[in-house]
Amino acid sequence: MKLSKIALRNITRNKRRSLLSIVAIAVAAMSIAFLFSFLEGYKNDLADNLHTYYSGEIRVRHKDYGKNEYLNPLHLRIESFRGVIEEIEKNDAVEAVSPRISFPTGIYRKEDTYKAIGMGVDFQYEKAYQNLEDRIIEGVLPEMGKNQALIGVELARDIGVKTGDKITMISTTMRRGSNAITFRITGIVSFPVQAFNKSYLLVPLDRAQKLLRMNDSVTEIIMKLKKGSSGSEIAGQLVAAFRAAGREELETLSWEEIGTSYSFIEMASVTYNFMALFFFILASSVIINTTMMVIYERTREIGTIGAMGMIRGEIVRLFFIEALFLSFIGSLIGVLIGIGITIPLSIVGINFGSAMEGVSIEISEKIYPSLSLRSTIFVFFYSVMVASLASLIPSSKAARVEPAEALRNM
Amino acid sequence: MKFLLGLALKNLSRYKKRTIITAAAIAVGLGIYIFIDAWLLGAEMESERNLIWYESSSARVLNESYWEEKDQLPLKYVIENPEEVTVRLQELKIPAAPRTVFGGELIVREDPFEQDGSMQVKIFSIDPEQDNTVFRFRETIVKGRYLKPGEEGILIGSWLAEDLGAEVGYPLTIVTRTRHGYYQIIDVEIVGIINCPNPSINRGAIFLPLDTADTYLEMQGAVTEINLKFPERSDAEMLAASIEEKLIEDFKGIEILSWKILARDYVAFAAMKQSGTRMILFLVFIIAAVGVSNTMLMAIYERFRELGMMRALGMKDSQVRLTFLFEAGGIGFIGSVFGVMLGCILCLWIVNRGVDYSAMIRDMDIGYRVTGIMRGAWHPKALVIAFFLGIILSVVTAFFPTRRALKMTITDCLRFQ
Amino acid sequence: MKRTVMALLVTLMVPASLWAISAEDIIKKLEKNTVTKTARIDGVMIINDRFGIKRSTFISYARGADTMLIEFTSVEEEGMKILRTRDEIYLFYPDAEELIRMQGAALKESVMGSDMSYEDMTGGRTLLQSYKVKLEGTEEIDGAPCYKVSMEAKKKGVPYYKQIMWIDKELFIYRKIHKFSRSGKLLKEIICDDVRQVSGKNIAFHMVLKDTMKRNSSTEFVINDIQINIPLKASIFSLEELTW
Repeated sequence: MKLSKIALRNITRNKRRSLLSIVAIAVAAMSIAFLFSFLEGYKNDLADNLHTYYSGEIRVRHKDYGKNEYLNPLHLRIESFRGVIEEIEKNDAVEAVSPRISFPTGIYRKEDTYKAIGMGVDFQYEKAYQNLEDRIIEGVLPEMGKNQALIGVELARDIGVKTGDKITMISTTMRRGSNAITFRITGIVSFPVQAFNKSYLLVPLDRAQKLLRMNDSVTEIIMKLKKGSSGSEIAGQLVAAFRAAGREELETLSWEEIGTSYSFIEMASVTYNFMALFFFILASSVIINTTMMVIYERTREIGTIGAMGMIRGEIVRLFFIEALFLSFIGSLIGVLIGIGITIPLSIVGINFGSAMEGVSIEISEKIYPSLSLRSTIFVFFYSVMVASLASLIPSSKAARVEPAEALRNM
Repeated sequence: MKFLLGLALKNLSRYKKRTIITAAAIAVGLGIYIFIDAWLLGAEMESERNLIWYESSSARVLNESYWEEKDQLPLKYVIENPEEVTVRLQELKIPAAPRTVFGGELIVREDPFEQDGSMQVKIFSIDPEQDNTVFRFRETIVKGRYLKPGEEGILIGSWLAEDLGAEVGYPLTIVTRTRHGYYQIIDVEIVGIINCPNPSINRGAIFLPLDTADTYLEMQGAVTEINLKFPERSDAEMLAASIEEKLIEDFKGIEILSWKILARDYVAFAAMKQSGTRMILFLVFIIAAVGVSNTMLMAIYERFRELGMMRALGMKDSQVRLTFLFEAGGIGFIGSVFGVMLGCILCLWIVNRGVDYSAMIRDMDIGYRVTGIMRGAWHPKALVIAFFLGIILSVVTAFFPTRRALKMTITDCLRFQ
Repeated sequence: MKRTVMALLVTLMVPASLWAISAEDIIKKLEKNTVTKTARIDGVMIINDRFGIKRSTFISYARGADTMLIEFTSVEEEGMKILRTRDEIYLFYPDAEELIRMQGAALKESVMGSDMSYEDMTGGRTLLQSYKVKLEGTEEIDGAPCYKVSMEAKKKGVPYYKQIMWIDKELFIYRKIHKFSRSGKLLKEIICDDVRQVSGKNIAFHMVLKDTMKRNSSTEFVINDIQINIPLKASIFSLEELTW
């Protein structure tokens, strides 16, 4: 009680010194907190793009589709898919569902044929699944039942089309026939995933079904889950539900089981964790350094209070408490600034855009740092701990020195 | 002046703890900065190398009409006299490897394969000897052997082999069209499987001897491209342009494109990655700089009384300032030396051992051409910059509190807490 | 005596002169015989591959050697039309607002998943312009004596460097065709049978096409009904009509 009072007085007495310590700790805490949010944002972005555009958190397909994927086996499809969706929607953990057909297609325009990938989606479902409307840089969403299409921005540039123009998509149908439909482009989309920008066209699901003569079926149903639900667990529940409904031809996989996308995230995690580790070391060294410096500077003061009769344990405790106060304030400020930087950036995003043109990779051009409460709290306590513990070494050393000698020390 | 230097030195050795702590702050900051920089640079260079060594080469001689229709892999636009071009290039001390790249349908049949099937592939026909002066596939064979001239054998990428269930010795058929448009069938046998650090090669590449392709495709000696190798870290764009200038008179209708054009996707991706990298390096720099300047500030403030004493004893302000700046420079120097050493030790590890990524990336078009182990790379420029930055940063941060102290009256200085 | 010698000589020479028919003549006769002024065919294309059997019915109209319109009538491709003119192939789809002109790499694609490419539909009837022909002898195909004529490309740009045709000695229609790659490997085999006479022309009502690269796959063409030399409006083969 008394010690903490002295500690407080010491802190307020030498404002400059206290300020420097606080700044060091704050900057260290802030950078770590921000780096965490930044890397978290990176990871979330990667995961979200994979979930939205590729595998979903759970993916349902015909069980033989994967094996024959390189043959574009549209006949290995999910028939009467609406029943499957009903079954999926019975599960409370499912947040959004997206039935899809993706197919290679040729785009014929002015005597030239361009290769592209078509994707039939239900724009009603898609509204809940992704914020497609925000991604449209020109035009509007297509209407279901109409020959209208959305096109990736770079594909549009390659072909030389703008909204309102017409293109003809020519594709191999499910039964290996051939069919073509002319679509009017209602919108140009800037997808966060470059592969989509470069080669994808989104058309109403029913139109894709007509083009490919697939009746009312789709090749895959992907879904996103509510926060905190386990992919493999829900996938297991769905497998059981499908089996009960007699849909044994379906294959239901959570994204962890769809090897490629998951290992991609894993790889990113390893890199980021590794990077974070060295950040930690650096930031810790700054905190330790500053704390030690402050105490060494005060060796004479330690000698004085020692001479006045304060015992060693008390001296060490006093300096520990001081460091605790300082680091508490510093960490708090640091973390708050970190949050202060992160929150606006998490809304606005950090743009890497200009460099991204023509790139085929699954990271968005804009990264939205994501504030992770857990890691922020962790950073706070970590900084406090490092600083307080760092005070123990020099103070216990200084306290061991004879007062007379300590007094002589500058 | 000599006296001031001596005084500064004495001060440094007198306050050992302070010197050590301040120098340590600098050393750790610089060391980690150097390390992270080396790591990021390594990732960048490794993928650049994997691109140049296995995919794009440094630059490529092409028929000037080829690039526009490269997606069709046309055999229409060729270099008719590759040998003459190659000889000229060798006179210029540029290793050159002619290739004919063509598209075809790869047909596999049940027994020994699991099931019948076919897929569109891109086939690189290479001169087994010359190719290895520019690319490095001989070293990447994991099963079987490298190509022999004239044989009807192919090398295939390891992931493709895995997808097809192919082993060395398995027969395959390539259906393609000759230069004149005739259907052609090439029955080949897998003689080797390649596992190179470039995922796009592992995923889909097929290599065939150039002379075999020449016969089957009726090329009559013509090739679609000649790949060049430039010295590492040279300006590929400039070199390509200057060589093109030298060759264009004798060989009409050719052009030379550097890898920066050949692999535009990659270059753009690397640029994006770089802005991410700079962001991280910037954060590292901030922490390091705050650490250094903080300790330095503290070290100077602590000595206001001493500074007042020096002035009271009759030293001129400029002399006092110089002494303090020398001291700061000295600490910066010590810190920088240790920082660079620490950085080098960490670099030794990341450059020589690296972080193992293998088995993590497969099937994923991530644009960055890396497999296996991610390594760092030495960045001498960063070492030098970091070294001087450490000294300059210390001196600069020492300058301001010193100036403040010198503005105060001597008595204030002496009373300063 | 002289007369008998003469008669003997004549009888000996007749088969010799018959034998002396040149390969060019055989091809000319074949082309003359297979080309009709106009024709309307009601037929079906049966594709047999790893995905199962698919039947597509069609009605085709032909005029001369190189103009043809195929109109599909089966549900799967209803309304799709293929128009072949002297130099071009156009595709018409009911839901597409423009005609698709096949050119370049697109010509190599298979027609509706069959073993035939669009390229195979073009230029097939001007053989002598593209190929150097040689009579290799006679062979029997399904009991019918045939000339075996080999053909080697003399012009760049044709897809098959070499072909062998077995042409019926009496009917001058082909019974079998082998198409080879540049290095002489068999790529495609066509066999025709069920020959019937329609309006004085001999026509194979059944044709099987096999791609030797793809096992267990074949494409059959069966003629259900054929009318020859009937009046056809010229507009049938116009692009305007097609889009309409």
